[in-house]
Amino acid sequence: MSHTVLVCDDAIFMRTMISDILTQAGFEVVGEAETGVQAVEKYRQLKPDLVTMDIVMPDMGGIDAVREICRESPEAKILMCSAMGQQALVVEAIQAGAKDFVVKPFQPSRVLEAVQRVLG
Amino acid sequence: MDLNKYAALFLAESREHLTTCNRLLLDWEREPGSTEAVAGLFRAIHSLKGMAATMGYGRLADLAHRTEHLLDAIRGGRAPAGAAVVDLLLKSVDALERGVDDAAAGADAGFDPGELPAALEAAAAAATVQAPKPARAAKGSGKKGAKAGPSTPSEPAPAALPVQVTDFADEAGRVVRVEIRSDAPLPGARAHLALRRAEQLGKVTGVMPPATSFDAQGFDGRFTFRLDAPFGESHIVRAIEAAGEIASVAVDADTVQTAEWRIPTAAAPVTTASARSGQVRVDRRRLDALMSQVGELVVARNRLLELVQHEPGSELEALGARISRLVSDLQAEIIEARMTPVWQVFDRFPRAVRDLARQLGKQVRFEMEGEGIELDRAILDELGDPLLHLLRNAVDHGLESPAERLAHGKQSEGRLVLSAARERSSVAIRIQDDGRGIDRRSILAKAHREGIVGPEVELLTDDLLLKVLGRPGFSTAERVSSVSGRGVGIDVVLTRVRAHGGAVEIASTPGSGTTFTLRLPLTLAILRVLTARIGTERYLLPLSYVAETVDFDTQPAAEVKGREAIVLRDRVIPTVHLRALLGVMGGEVPARRPGLVLEVGDRRSVVVVDALVGQQEVVVEPFDAPRGTPPLFSGATILADGTPALILDAAALV
Repeated sequence: MSHTVLVCDDAIFMRTMISDILTQAGFEVVGEAETGVQAVEKYRQLKPDLVTMDIVMPDMGGIDAVREICRESPEAKILMCSAMGQQALVVEAIQAGAKDFVVKPFQPSRVLEAVQRVLG
Repeated sequence: MDLNKYAALFLAESREHLTTCNRLLLDWEREPGSTEAVAGLFRAIHSLKGMAATMGYGRLADLAHRTEHLLDAIRGGRAPAGAAVVDLLLKSVDALERGVDDAAAGADAGFDPGELPAALEAAAAAATVQAPKPARAAKGSGKKGAKAGPSTPSEPAPAALPVQVTDFADEAGRVVRVEIRSDAPLPGARAHLALRRAEQLGKVTGVMPPATSFDAQGFDGRFTFRLDAPFGESHIVRAIEAAGEIASVAVDADTVQTAEWRIPTAAAPVTTASARSGQVRVDRRRLDALMSQVGELVVARNRLLELVQHEPGSELEALGARISRLVSDLQAEIIEARMTPVWQVFDRFPRAVRDLARQLGKQVRFEMEGEGIELDRAILDELGDPLLHLLRNAVDHGLESPAERLAHGKQSEGRLVLSAARERSSVAIRIQDDGRGIDRRSILAKAHREGIVGPEVELLTDDLLLKVLGRPGFSTAERVSSVSGRGVGIDVVLTRVRAHGGAVEIASTPGSGTTFTLRLPLTLAILRVLTARIGTERYLLPLSYVAETVDFDTQPAAEVKGREAIVLRDRVIPTVHLRALLGVMGGEVPARRPGLVLEVGDRRSVVVVDALVGQQEVVVEPFDAPRGTPPLFSGATILADGTPALILDAAALV
C-alpha cells in the first residue's frame, strides 16, 4: 500500500509541484491545505502517513500547525518545506516536532530522500 | 523535472500575489500601524520568491529576496512604515511584475531591476541599524551571506573544540563528532536533527558549539557532544546518519570517518487515483473555445428546431425538444463557469488612482463597492481600459485641487466611488465623483461651433451631453482642461461598452460632481433577441431592452418637442421609425405595425417595424461597421438559416 500524504502550502504552484514529485514516486496525495488551520483540520480528518508543511502560511503558520498536530498526534510525521534563510524557523519547527526539512527550490531527489528519512 | 508545465501556474499565481501586494501596500499606507498588511506582504513576496527560485528565475528570485528582506526587517518592528518605504515597495512590486512577465517570456536573464536592489538593501540596512537588538547588527556587519569564519571572535572557534571537550571529560558517555555535508542547505537545522536522533539513543550532554548557536552564520557544520547510550559504535553512527546530509560521524575517534552516503530508493509506484478535490484552474482560452462551440451548437439547435416544426408530433420533434433543453443547460453551465467577480479587474485601480492623484497633487478618497458582482470574463476583460480611462478623467478633470475644493466649501479630499451592482438582468458599473461637474456651457459652445448640435439647442441635457462627448475626436481636439471636461476618449468607452450590448449614461451637476453608469449584460456571447422585419430585411433587437410590444397604429398619437410620440399609460414616448431611419425602400408597409417599447436606463422609445418574426438566441460576432454605416448597430450574427443579420444598438435608439 502506498503512503498517504497531506500537502500544506499556500501557493498552488508549490502544492502542485510537491504533489507531482510525490505522486510520481508512488505516494498518494490525499489532501491539500493552504493555511495552518486547514492543515490541522485535514490532519485530524485524514491521518496521513506524511505531511509536507510550508512555514509561511496565512491563518496560523506552519510552525504553529506542527505544534498543534504533534500535540494531538505525537507520532505525526511532518516534513518542513522551507526557503533559504529560514534556519531559525526550521529549528523552531524541529523543536515543535517536525521530523525533517527540505529547502526550496526543490530538487525531487532531495525531497524524496527527506521523505524516506521521515518515514524511516 | 520539466518545469514548462508549471510556467503557466507560476505566471497566474505570481500575478495574483503581486496584485495582493499592491492592495496591501495601499492599505498599509492608509493605516501605517497595521501589522496585518505587512504580514500579508511578507507572505506574498515570500511565496513569489520560492516559486521564482524553483522555476530557476534567479534574477527575479533575487529581487524578491531583497524585497522580502526589507519586509522582514519592517515586520520585526525594526523599521517604521514611512511614505518612502511604501514608495520603494510599490516600485519593487512594479519591477517584480515586469520580472514575472520577463521570466514567463523566457527572458529572466534580461530582467534588469535597475537601482532597486541597492535601494532595498540600503533600506533594510537602515532598518537593521535602528534595531533594538544591537547583536544582530554586529553580525550583519560582514558581507551578507559570507561565512564569518573561525576567526570571528563572537563565534566559537572549531580549532578550540578538543580543548573544550576535555572540559566535559568528567561527564559520562562517549565523545561523538558529527560533520554535516558542506553542500547541505541550512546546516544548523540539520545539526539539530542529528542531535535529536542522538537524543533518541540516550543522554546527550556537552554539545559544542552550543546548539543555540547552530543557526549563527559562522557555524561550519561540525559539532561534538557526549552521548551516554547502551549501543555499539556502528549503531550510533547509523542512527545519527539517518538525520540526513551527514558527511561523517565519529565515535571515540580523532580521525574523521567518511560515511557512505546512500540514496534511499523511492517506494514502488502504485496506481492509485489521488483523492484531490476542489477547484481546477482552466486556461481561459479553453473556456472561450467551449463558449464558441456552444454558440455554434445553439445556431445548429435553432436550425433543427425550425426543421422539426414541419413534423409535429414526430419522434424527431420530441428529440429536437430534448436536444434543445440539453443545449440550453450546457450553455448555462459554461456561462456560469465564465462568470468572474469584478474585483479581478477592479483590484488594480486603487493603485492607479493613488499614483495619479499624487502626480496631480489631488487628494482622493477612492472607494469600491460591489466587488463580488460577477460578469462574463470576456466582458470584464474589455472593461479594464474604459474604466481606467473614466477614473483617470475623474481624478484629472473631475476632482478639483485641494485649494479649489476648500474655496468652494468642500472637504479638501475628493471622493471617487467605483461600484458594481446587479440591476435586473444586467450589471451597472458606476464611477461617481464629487468634483466640479461638467461645464455644459463651454461644451455646448464648442458643439455649436463644430455643428454637432443645431443653434436651436440652448441647453445640453445629460443625454445630449453624452452624445456630444461621445463624438469621435470631440475632446481630443481640445484637451479638456480648458473646458473643465472629461471627454478624452469617451467615444472609445461608448464604443467598447455598446459593442457588448451595453449602454453608457452620464449625469453631471455643476459643483457637485459627475456620475458615469455603464450598463452591461451579464454575458455577451449569447444574446436573446427579437427578430423584426422591415420590408424584406430582418433586424435584431436585444430582448433585455424590450419592455413590451404594442400595436402602434392603434395608439393615441402625441407630440413631444416636435417629435412624433405615442401615449402609453399616461406616458409620452417618442417614436422611432426604423424603416425611415434605416432607409429601407422595398416591401409594402402594413396597415397595422407593431411597436417595440425600448427601455435603456430611464429613457424610452417606441421602435416601429413592419412585423415581428420571433425570438431567438444568437451568437454575437464582433462587428466592424463599414464606413458610412449609421451608428445604430452593436453587433452582427448568423441566423439559423445561415443568413447574416445586424443587431440594433438599443441605446442608440432611445
